Amino acid sequence: MRALIAALALGPTLAQVQQAQAQQAQAQQAVTSPAPASVAVTIYREPGRQPDAAFDGDWLRGYALVTETRDVDLPAGPATVRFEGVAAGMLAETALVRGLPGGVAEQNLDADLIGARNLYARSFGRPVLLRRVDPATKAVIEEAGVIRSGPDGAAVIQTREGFRSARCAWPDEYISYGEMPAGLVAKPTLSVQTAAPVAAHARLTLSYLAWGFDWRADYVLTMRRDGRHLDLAAWVTLASSDDTAFAGSAAAVVAGKPDKQERDENGRYEAGETLSFHCETARISPAPPPPPPPPIMLEMAPAPMAAMDDIIVTAQRRAPVMARQEALGDLKLYRLPMPTTIAPRAQKQVALAERRGVKVQPFYRTRLELNEDEDGRPLRQVLRLQNRKADGLGLALPGGHVVVLEPHGSTSLPVGEGRIDDKAEGEEIEIELGEATALHVTETETAGDDSGSWRDHAATLTNSRDQPVQVEVAIPLEDGQHLLRPTQPLTRKNGQPLWRVTVPAHGTARLGFRIVEPK
Amino acid sequence: MRPGWTVLGMSTALCAVSLAHAAVPDGMGAKSAQGDVALTIYNDMALVEDVRRIDLPKGVSRQEFPDVSAQIRPETVTISAPGAAVVEQNFDYDLLTPGALLDKSVGQDVSVVRLGADGKEVATTAHVLANNQGAVVQVGNRIEILNEMPGRVVYSGLPAGLRARPTLSVTLDSASGGARAVGLRYLSRGFGWKADYVALFDEGAGKLDVQGWVTLNNTTGTGFPDARVMLVAGQPGNDSDDGNGRFARPRPIGNRMGTGGDDRRETLGDFHVYPLAGRTTVANAQTKQVSFLNASGVPARKVYQYRNDWQHSTEEGESVDTVLAFTSAKDGGLGDALPAGTMRVYMRDARGNPQFVGESPLPHTPMGSDLALKTGTAFDVKVQPTVEKRERITGTEWERTGQWRITRNNEAPVTTTIDEHPTYWRTQMAWKVTNARAVPVEVDVVQDGLDNGWHDTRVSAESQPGRQLSLDSRVWRVKVPPRGAVTLTATIDTRY
Repeated sequence: MRALIAALALGPTLAQVQQAQAQQAQAQQAVTSPAPASVAVTIYREPGRQPDAAFDGDWLRGYALVTETRDVDLPAGPATVRFEGVAAGMLAETALVRGLPGGVAEQNLDADLIGARNLYARSFGRPVLLRRVDPATKAVIEEAGVIRSGPDGAAVIQTREGFRSARCAWPDEYISYGEMPAGLVAKPTLSVQTAAPVAAHARLTLSYLAWGFDWRADYVLTMRRDGRHLDLAAWVTLASSDDTAFAGSAAAVVAGKPDKQERDENGRYEAGETLSFHCETARISPAPPPPPPPPIMLEMAPAPMAAMDDIIVTAQRRAPVMARQEALGDLKLYRLPMPTTIAPRAQKQVALAERRGVKVQPFYRTRLELNEDEDGRPLRQVLRLQNRKADGLGLALPGGHVVVLEPHGSTSLPVGEGRIDDKAEGEEIEIELGEATALHVTETETAGDDSGSWRDHAATLTNSRDQPVQVEVAIPLEDGQHLLRPTQPLTRKNGQPLWRVTVPAHGTARLGFRIVEPK
Repeated sequence: MRPGWTVLGMSTALCAVSLAHAAVPDGMGAKSAQGDVALTIYNDMALVEDVRRIDLPKGVSRQEFPDVSAQIRPETVTISAPGAAVVEQNFDYDLLTPGALLDKSVGQDVSVVRLGADGKEVATTAHVLANNQGAVVQVGNRIEILNEMPGRVVYSGLPAGLRARPTLSVTLDSASGGARAVGLRYLSRGFGWKADYVALFDEGAGKLDVQGWVTLNNTTGTGFPDARVMLVAGQPGNDSDDGNGRFARPRPIGNRMGTGGDDRRETLGDFHVYPLAGRTTVANAQTKQVSFLNASGVPARKVYQYRNDWQHSTEEGESVDTVLAFTSAKDGGLGDALPAGTMRVYMRDARGNPQFVGESPLPHTPMGSDLALKTGTAFDVKVQPTVEKRERITGTEWERTGQWRITRNNEAPVTTTIDEHPTYWRTQMAWKVTNARAVPVEVDVVQDGLDNGWHDTRVSAESQPGRQLSLDSRVWRVKVPPRGAVTLTATIDTRY
């Protein structure tokens, strides 16, 4: 057997390969930076996601700017500096290395990954061992062979007896490779080529954008018993679906909408297609197909299985630790006040803002249809806030999900959910909640002329609650239409007539008007 | 040369094949068979020039060229061999698979190894009758279905013509024997490059520092060690879209293509050419970046733009676009041609650390151009457009639009008057511009959709003078005080 392997080894021997690598290393010295000394992570939301949409925890499509400082000892002369422990979702083209005395001659991200298919493809024409367990004796049987097909025709092997497909007669047969083909890497690896004039210790800054992060704001609005004020608590929920842990990092999130081109697929490197074996004969026992090579991401950092369920609430105390807001150009940056760990496949929450006694105007809204008679269409509940200091707010509010609680006995219960978009200071905020079950509108057409030049409409609001409510009814006129003879005073909003009315408890309100078509 | 397809007797097959004689085809071993390689990489493909030292025998011989790009476009291959003429070029992609092996053995004998009753393996000769969705074999005087039989099929050799992977081969007729440099040129897919720009913007100082990187990708499946590399900024073909030069939305106002100038760059026809210094290894699945531009202190400013595509209202204010404006001119600009790519803009946060504030695609841009790149939208500056009123203007007079004199069949001319009663619509628009920042801002408010094919649109009143950008668009520059709001109004008369 030994002689056979030697005879098969027509390619360069292991010793020769090592020698060649050593020669190469002399010309190009290798420096490895295993981990950052410190790291800052700024998380950006997924472009185009609804502000209140839930995360897809395993595949976050927001991104982060990762800024790392790394200490390396550089030799004099040409050297390759490799960076390990970077985010798996790194976008190679955004990587920037600063602080090298010799500058960056060339920067590479190598992603020809070690995997079943690559191993097979690179071992073409080379000796391998086919191994299996003899079912009778339980002994491991080895057979020397040479790979004769490419990975798309796997696996035609030449053995002493002739040419055959692997894994046909023995489903547990597997290929054992003698050596690692050159040029394959365990995970995508960033490296730069530089040439320092003299040997030196250098503190480098490495920054890059990486996919696989996201954050959103969550608002909890607790209504006061007077119905005119509420307490606002806002949380930042940030999450990482990356495999790399960023311990003790300076974390921040950015609100606003920076433009970002879609590139999620290319940002992730897979080990290529899988390798599959084909047989012409029946299998002895129907064995499951060979498992595909595990996604490289899973290999890198075995995350605890329950990581995604762990919501690490770091600040649920009185006087919570608040994220601090600052302006970043035309965006808003919220800085976490203390170093934190962004764990792989985990999310965490930090308080963003807390305001007590914020003025709120709850009302119900509908928009008339004006085309047909409509019976009892439910209205929608809306909370209107003015984002100004005088009303108890007055801060840049990033878009997010809203939960509204109402006091009920000694506790507060959720009564509605909605969302807000990014709201600047001074803006009006309208939060649409669910459909009301106690408020309805009925529309009727009461009169009209034969030529259709005018029609009289009536809208009736019914309130079955035991308290009076505010209602706003928008009347959407088409181009050139006029509204005449309203039976109640109307105002205007967004260029359209608006009927603002208080409907008494267990009462109704009625509006009649005429719409005249353009001549 | 590969072993021929020989069917040996059963006993011979099991013991007489000398593996040592089965040559390992070169090319997929550790050492590449490539010679002196030069890559000219376009935005979406590459020209590979590979000069190999090959010992040609006198007369006709077939030469295989391993280690060409796995994404070679075989129809583009040209070979130059001094003193030899090309007889034919072949690109064979009949892949060696277990199924193909069986296909090629129809009408021939293979051996099937099975477990005998005593637990020992027994080899039987089987004659392959057919292979149509499963092979049918004759074993002795029985007909059996191969894929219902346990065991393994052993072939005594490989049929000629099956390849482990697509292979380029050339038949050459050489006048004399001897080693010589044989040049191989072909186009390959799977290469590409684009520019990536890193721009650090200092808004207070109005300065921009720009680094330009060439980012090239090799997804061919083949590595090219020690190659000379040249990059060409352009796509000779017209069948692909790199997504950079084309914009779904109208670009911001303020872009103007320049007329170039002395940018000290090599050119090739229309294209700029960027040679990389020295030799470099372009490995498979590698992203390689090389710096090509470094400019600091370039004057730049931020402008706000808002574009309302058609005359409509929105329920709430919409963030205006944040646009970065600068020039690629030599004076007061970047002073270089900019190959297509992506510009990523960073600004320093309160602690002085650069933070990402947005990115924008960039088309191939000659020197001397004005650039206005949208990097995102502004949190604090918004515009809410409202159609306040829209009504038909009942024209009191008929508009005479044409008069024709028609002569028919030598009869007396008839004068016909075409009267048209045009309908005008009068739209009163308001744009509420709000600014929550602590500094005054200027916003260019653009209203599109004015023309709509009628070529007859008038702005009969406006709260401040606007400027007509085109038949379809009008822009107003609105100044808004800190933490304030300004409402711009205009009355637009259109034919629709």
